Amino acid sequence: MNRVVISETLRRHLTNPFFLAYVALIAIVAFGVSHFNRPGSMWPSMIALLAMITGAAPIGPEFSSGTLQIILVKPVKRWVYLVSRVTGVVMAVSVGAIAGAVCELVGRAIWSDALAWETIGIAFANCIGDAILTVALLTLLGSLTRAYFNIAIYFGVQVTLSVMMAAGGMLRASRSTIGQFLGEHMGIERALFVVERNLFPEFPLGFDRDWMLTVLSNAAVALALACIAFRRREVPYGAE
Amino acid sequence: MSVRVRALRKSFGKHEVLKGIDLEVAPGEVVGLIGPNGAGKTTLMSCLLGFLHPNSGEITIDGRANDDLEVRRGTGFVPERMSFARGETGWVFLRYMARLAGVPSGEVDARAKAMLERLGIWDAAQKKLSQYSRGMLQRIGMCQALIHEPSYIFLDEPTSGLDPNGVLLVRELILEQKQRGAAVLLNSHQLAEVEKVCDRVLFLSGGVIATEETLKHVDRIVIAVTLLAGSFDAATIERVAGAAVRENVVIVSVETEADIAELVREIVGTGAGVIDVRRHTADLEKIFRGAA
Repeated sequence: MNRVVISETLRRHLTNPFFLAYVALIAIVAFGVSHFNRPGSMWPSMIALLAMITGAAPIGPEFSSGTLQIILVKPVKRWVYLVSRVTGVVMAVSVGAIAGAVCELVGRAIWSDALAWETIGIAFANCIGDAILTVALLTLLGSLTRAYFNIAIYFGVQVTLSVMMAAGGMLRASRSTIGQFLGEHMGIERALFVVERNLFPEFPLGFDRDWMLTVLSNAAVALALACIAFRRREVPYGAE
Repeated sequence: MSVRVRALRKSFGKHEVLKGIDLEVAPGEVVGLIGPNGAGKTTLMSCLLGFLHPNSGEITIDGRANDDLEVRRGTGFVPERMSFARGETGWVFLRYMARLAGVPSGEVDARAKAMLERLGIWDAAQKKLSQYSRGMLQRIGMCQALIHEPSYIFLDEPTSGLDPNGVLLVRELILEQKQRGAAVLLNSHQLAEVEKVCDRVLFLSGGVIATEETLKHVDRIVIAVTLLAGSFDAATIERVAGAAVRENVVIVSVETEADIAELVREIVGTGAGVIDVRRHTADLEKIFRGAA
């Protein structure tokens, strides 16, 4: 990995007023909800959104802006650049997660007898695992597309899977021809469910070792595929 | 040989853009790449820099593949349009580029400052790139390409958007790189600039190098002596100069500056009137029209 790329990625986020404002919002929300909500709630969802926003930027938009072409002539291997960018982004997201977890702990220390540090720690670990997968998926899509099409495809796939699963359930209930076909071939619905669960996993309530391993291994596969795609990708300059 | 290309072919779908390019750029040589729009200049540059993968052919830089990290360490590239995170300042951008290019951390600040001063944008170092004019972006593009003193330099329209002072500065910088021993490939539409800085020019047309013209001989000086019409005898001048007189101009190649003075003295000695003596370069416009 390239230390210069990681530190620059992190620096760019930590000096971005919008990023800092969002982290401040996470901190305020975490502190506020510690007064009345169950431990480790709300702010992990904000971290998931932060991972989507920050994870969309590497590669695709850099390609369209022409930044990538300047960087690719520097003595850094493509896959090293890619993995370093992902690492920098995950570190930036972690800053938000740390802010959320610490502020919730501070809030609970003020307002409650129980710190619930274990539950908050699990929420922290879960949202970091989820962020790694999100950033890896967006990087994979970014290594195949231009501009911010990666985030469009990411949401497109998510929405399509949800709609297909809902439609499949309704069709089965309607007892139509298609419904009967789906009823006889439950594997189709199960496959959609497995794909959705692997790409867009929901946070478990506690610490689930299998969930964490699944998320991290899926992220590793996505990142490896991104490296392979990016290695062979043509990046003509001057192309819009 | 520094940069070497053999039988390079590149297609996009069924459209073959490069149809077998052979090219060499030696250390300390500036080679111009000119040609009409769509000739394949940018595609060739992209292949050389590793942005595009050729269908066939060979690209080597000092005997290594163009994506070798050692080659990358010695490569500088100025794109036609500089683009980067516009929210960054020129100083931050240049420091990042220098660190990425492998400039030792202890030298980054000093080199960045020296480059910004050299390119005349030190005062704008703390301004965001979004506030830079086209010319300033071009100048910082030169800074990032040269900060690590590369041995292989690829310039794509480096003077586009620059004011006359900037053009002169870039010309100086290119000649400095040449003196330093760098191999420079210059892609430009500005024929006058190409003529001033290049040793050789390649005319790319229809995906092939249609013409190659040497503008500066390493060990010879080519001069054009313009004679006063009616003041000379063509046969006598041809005998003295060793070259034919065309209209009232004789083009001669000599070895040293002293030879120029001696030749002019001999021509004047025949009774001929000499109006003008200047270094002769190829008429790029004429060749460009012919090649296109």
